[in-house]
Amino acid sequence: MSAPAEIQPYVEAFKARPTAPEPTWLTHRREGAIRRFSELGWPTRKQEAWRFTDLRPLQRAVFPPAGSAGRATDADIAAWRYSGAAHRIVLVDGAFAPELSTIGDLPKGVWLASTAHTLRDRADLVEPALREIDVLGAQPFVALNAALFADGFVLALEPGVALDRAIEIIHLGRTAGRSSQLRNLVLLGPKSRATLIETYAGEGAYWTNAVGVVGVGAGAALRHIKLQDESAAAIHLGHNRIELGRDARYESFTLSLGGRLARTDIHLKFDGEGAACGLFGATLLRGEQEGTIATVVDHAAPHCVTREYFKSVADDRAHGVFLGTIAVRPQAQKTDANQLSKNLLLSRRAAIDTKPELEILADDVKCSHGATVGDLDEAALFYLESRGIPVADARRMLIEAFAAEVIERIEDDAEMRAHLGRHVARWLAAGNGR
Amino acid sequence: MLEIKNLHARISDGREILKGVDLAVKAGEVHAIMGPNGSGKSTLAGVLSGKPGYEVTAGQVLYQGSDLLAIAADERAREGVFLAFQYPVEIPGVNNMYFLRAALNAVRKQRGESAMDAGQFLKAVRAKLKLLEIGEDLLQRGVNVGFSGGEKKRNEIFQMAMLEPKLAILDETDSGLDIDALQTVARGINALRGPERAIVMITHYQRLLNHVVPDRVHVLSGGKIAKSGGKELALELEQTGYGAYGDAA
Repeated sequence: MSAPAEIQPYVEAFKARPTAPEPTWLTHRREGAIRRFSELGWPTRKQEAWRFTDLRPLQRAVFPPAGSAGRATDADIAAWRYSGAAHRIVLVDGAFAPELSTIGDLPKGVWLASTAHTLRDRADLVEPALREIDVLGAQPFVALNAALFADGFVLALEPGVALDRAIEIIHLGRTAGRSSQLRNLVLLGPKSRATLIETYAGEGAYWTNAVGVVGVGAGAALRHIKLQDESAAAIHLGHNRIELGRDARYESFTLSLGGRLARTDIHLKFDGEGAACGLFGATLLRGEQEGTIATVVDHAAPHCVTREYFKSVADDRAHGVFLGTIAVRPQAQKTDANQLSKNLLLSRRAAIDTKPELEILADDVKCSHGATVGDLDEAALFYLESRGIPVADARRMLIEAFAAEVIERIEDDAEMRAHLGRHVARWLAAGNGR
Repeated sequence: MLEIKNLHARISDGREILKGVDLAVKAGEVHAIMGPNGSGKSTLAGVLSGKPGYEVTAGQVLYQGSDLLAIAADERAREGVFLAFQYPVEIPGVNNMYFLRAALNAVRKQRGESAMDAGQFLKAVRAKLKLLEIGEDLLQRGVNVGFSGGEKKRNEIFQMAMLEPKLAILDETDSGLDIDALQTVARGINALRGPERAIVMITHYQRLLNHVVPDRVHVLSGGKIAKSGGKELALELEQTGYGAYGDAA
């Protein structure tokens, strides 16, 4: 455990936080959370889940909560706006930015608002989702978030509601040396359905610490896209906890392009029979970037299906990490789970760590996993070159194809695939052509 | 157009495969290089096109009077050298049309021509597709992905027709083709014969030469040109086999 001195500034920030009026239960939970955080301290590399993560960019400085929204204009979000139709919430430095948000007319049975607004008007919606779970377990960043969060977004769908348009959340970090502690809630009632795209971007050396709690009710379906395109100097820690009810469907795609230090944790639990999840993603890294995808899928119910496919590309001195745990509990018979991690190493000084882990305690299950690390296909590269395509372009085409292959897993949504494809192409075009 | 002088080359395990190849091909000519298995035919194609894995240890290759071996594979292609692959590579995720347009515009840029827009490109594509009897749907797939053996070879000649090289090297383009596909491919090659273009066909068998009649025929054996002659040399080889050139088969 780290010396408390390292984290003391955050405990101080908690004590000095502006006293916004809030429900007493929430204040109590925040106090519990900051106590838990003080006990835990920063994670260390002795902890298995943090073995490959270099937290020094976070530890070298202190990132007090931003306090208020930095200034931003429509032009600042233009590059990230989803090309399809959407109800949009924009947050800047961890706080709702109403002038940039275009929520529009919501169908009946849909609640979409900032977390602060929801706590004011519909605290009943969020209370169950902000349970003690945040202070249990060794998740210091989740505990810190529980103590310090001021805003975020809440999407709640009543039973049977199907949203035609996507829900889009854009978060911009604008203030160097500050942190945005975002708390997001997505609650889908039984048999409802929605597509959600969260985008994280910004400018400067800030820290985004986002925690999302997602509940997908019986027979409901959520497609959950995350575009992590933080500034090259920023730190991004994103932690999503998902619970799936009976026969629920959950699909996530994480496209991770930005950040000096970026990590996405996905914790998914099957709570009812017959549910299915697809966890997909692509991480592109260059320079000194470190990017981690860490998934834990808890098969606590029988007859559930998991499909996991993550790809990463590491160039220059970048470091990519994939940690994938699938746990099958004794009662989770007929579990069908597979996991695949494919990685491209484009430079001798780049590194990839990939660690699949299956813990199977039931006997009648179908589980598999695989991992590969390789270079670009020499034969394919030569074929492109032999037609006159310059080497740098040929490499870009092959990297783009590598990412496109997993983006293809987003079925029946050409608009979303094209949107993500454009961001991949933009990332590639911004490179030095290696 | 192409002048090869005393070319020696070895492969990555150190074995010397080409042991002094001499060959001159003029613009407007079609040459056939025949030879038994292991005589160095594919190595020659690889060295000329800049494929990795070969090391030239001696000799010279002049293309339009300048040193071909001094420039990288992609640059050779932009200068007008084209290799039709014996085994075209499948590239999943890279759309055929996108690939071909990128290639064509890279070559056009080198020639000082403007880039083709989507409309012009499609028009050019349609004309050539017809010549090679390729369905337009194949172009919506990944490069060579899901193509039959014959479709892959026709796609090679189709690419050649689109890129209009000055020097085309066809590496065993006839292998694995049935008679109909062979005729289609031959028609494509013949359509590209012209006074400005040189074509080098590398082949084990004589049958392609019935359809694409060469000006010169060379026998490559033991890493050297063992014999050269007119088109009748190919017929002679068909009768006698490569026995005289060190191939038991």
